[in-house]
Amino acid sequence: MTRSTLLSALWLLAATAFAQQREIRNPHTTPADVAAGAKIFRGHCGECHGLKGEGGRGPSLITGVYYHGATDEDLFNNITDGIPGTSMPGVFFSGDQVWQLVSFVRSLSASKAAPPKGDIARGERIFREKGCQGCHLVRGEGGVNGPDLTLIGSQRSPEHLRRAIVAPGDKVLRDHWVAKVTLENGKSYSGFILNEDTHTLQILEQQQGLQSLTKRDFNRYSVEKTSTMPSFARQLKEDELNDLVAYLHSLERKGGSR
Amino acid sequence: MKYLPFLLLACTAFGQVTFDRLLKADAEPHNWLTYSGSYKGWRYSGLNQINKANVKDLKLSWVYQMPVTHRVETTPLVIDGVMYLSEPPSNVVALDAATGRQYWRYRRSLPSKINVCCGQVNRGVAVSGDRVFIGTVDAHLVALNAKTGAVLWDIEVADYKSGYSVTVAPLIVKDMVITGIAGGEYGIRGFLDAYDIKTGQRRWRFWTIPGPGEKGHETWSGDAWKQGGGPTWVTGSYDAEQNLIIWGTGNPSPDWNGDVRPGDNLYSDCAIALDADTGKLKWHFQFVPHDVHDWDAVQVPVLVDTEFQGRQRKLVYWAHRGGFYYVLDRTTGKFLLGKPFATQTWANGLDANGRPMRKQGIDPTPEGVEVWPGVQGATNWYSPSYNPLTGLFYLTAWENKGLYRKGDAEYVAGNRYIGSVPKIDLEDEPGYGAIRALNPKTGERVWEHKLHTKPWSGVLSTAGKLVFAASGGWITRDRQEMEAWFYALDADSGKELWRINLGGDMSTSAITYAVNGKQMVTMAAGSAIFTFTLP
Repeated sequence: MTRSTLLSALWLLAATAFAQQREIRNPHTTPADVAAGAKIFRGHCGECHGLKGEGGRGPSLITGVYYHGATDEDLFNNITDGIPGTSMPGVFFSGDQVWQLVSFVRSLSASKAAPPKGDIARGERIFREKGCQGCHLVRGEGGVNGPDLTLIGSQRSPEHLRRAIVAPGDKVLRDHWVAKVTLENGKSYSGFILNEDTHTLQILEQQQGLQSLTKRDFNRYSVEKTSTMPSFARQLKEDELNDLVAYLHSLERKGGSR
Repeated sequence: MKYLPFLLLACTAFGQVTFDRLLKADAEPHNWLTYSGSYKGWRYSGLNQINKANVKDLKLSWVYQMPVTHRVETTPLVIDGVMYLSEPPSNVVALDAATGRQYWRYRRSLPSKINVCCGQVNRGVAVSGDRVFIGTVDAHLVALNAKTGAVLWDIEVADYKSGYSVTVAPLIVKDMVITGIAGGEYGIRGFLDAYDIKTGQRRWRFWTIPGPGEKGHETWSGDAWKQGGGPTWVTGSYDAEQNLIIWGTGNPSPDWNGDVRPGDNLYSDCAIALDADTGKLKWHFQFVPHDVHDWDAVQVPVLVDTEFQGRQRKLVYWAHRGGFYYVLDRTTGKFLLGKPFATQTWANGLDANGRPMRKQGIDPTPEGVEVWPGVQGATNWYSPSYNPLTGLFYLTAWENKGLYRKGDAEYVAGNRYIGSVPKIDLEDEPGYGAIRALNPKTGERVWEHKLHTKPWSGVLSTAGKLVFAASGGWITRDRQEMEAWFYALDADSGKELWRINLGGDMSTSAITYAVNGKQMVTMAAGSAIFTFTLP
């Protein structure tokens, strides 16, 4: 190797290292860009990701968790080229328009950037003191009469969490409907519906854990879409409610899909 | 064994699929020669080794796992002991139909960016002579050698960068390979093409959206026809006696916002009958003029010659996505009968010509309007079946409503051009699915096999008086909705006689064939092909 090629090689090495460090940032982040991105999203992305990015055939985009890379550049590339091996297609928009889409997608999880007011440690204490764990699991501890809250901060907005504490009966999501089953032999079961098909039912039974039942054996079967959780509106002061919401919001996904 | 003579007959032309064999596909039920089993579109097999009495003993014979991740919608063909099937996105495999062992595999190299509305899928291949044909998601048509998988020719059907793709299984007619096109969500201008089997040269093209000066163009306004849609993404049928190719067309574009396209928008959502030699339109019947709900008419046309209302007629039976079952005259396209086969809230019935009498307030709005059936329709591309022994018409039906929302639609070549984001499943009212049997001469329901979820797969019926069907599918994979049963029903009563959990999405329809004297039943589930037989 001559001296000049050695120098060139060293220069190239340095340039590559520099390029690797340089982060590509979204140049289109004004409110007007977000609005323009929203319009494109509605026409092109919402069919799978939901009109508000809440998910559907495609994953939710409101959690701030992106499984195929979370940098601006990752989002730009995934939108432009699509994601191989999935149903996510690429698009044929201009680069500027894709950046506007990236801005809109980011805005969907903006609440993640500004966590709710309240003290997480105090919230955790309140969670234990008020007996929430009697019904709710957090990281494997607690009961199964209510939804598992281990990842609830990734799954619900602070506003949703607050509403669920003060008015739990307002809207019970399908994940938390309860199957009540009595078999021909008199045995009865009550639990969250995990899966159901034409012939069988899989539930998380409140006392007996995971149960797979055959519909042929059913005598009675009903689905309760109401909540058994009492309202905590009167039991919590405003500060305490904020702390509890802050604690629940801190229960986040660390990777994986559930 | 009843079909032994046919086996011997087939040996004389081993591996060579002539036009004559395709015309007489019924005479060799041990083979599955075309997408629907025969030109008539029945998805029916004359095999009866597996029947009502013994289907309970059906056992898994072999599994072929595809090394792919896209959804599988393929219908395999079986020719003299060799199974030819497509793998998504656009690969072809030849297997030993007795064991599932692979002979060869054609793996297509594709551009990195391809837009297909609902996944990079393929519904099957066609075989003629010693050639296998596949349409590709980058909108090419490819001819392969049936013994080696080597490429004989590879031609561009349309520009994939403008949203065109080929997902449909081709159909061989005479010395031509007929292919449709997909892209109804990308503002394509739809067509049906015929290519020379030997050279790949195009013989004719029928534009499903007529241009200036062509009949039907007056049903469009301005330049809307240029992106008018009308794709042809499910294989049609062939009436040899009249030399007519009968094929269904899909939605006009943009799907849910019809403001830019006032008029009936011919020939979207139509049954079209084309002269096979020239591609000229003989007749058409439009199921939904000016569709704004995405109710494609891409169902397989079921061709039956029978006595109808007192005289012998050539008929087409057609259960359309919008929820009505139709009987059409196959010589003229004349509407003869129409009746809902599922709940629908958009029409006050059909008039004397079969035109729907639309209700007010059913068109999509920015806020959304609830209409039955939902966006995926009361049925869709899933194959129906006609069984000459029971005289019944079998189909997959959905009981569901959708929320139809209207949005902006701006055409940018290669991007989605749909004008909305409809809601397919309403969270609290997902509806349910069913396999239904209709009396095809009246549209009356004879029986129903009710399902918890809405299937994305079609039906196969056999001379064993069985209907093979499946449950579950690719959008209903939420954990409360997942089911994956493959089962056999009594074709007379709908009673379930056998079932197995295949554990994966089923988005196609079963086939049956015989090899070494044993009847086999094949169904794709997840990324695998499962084949069953009696012990």
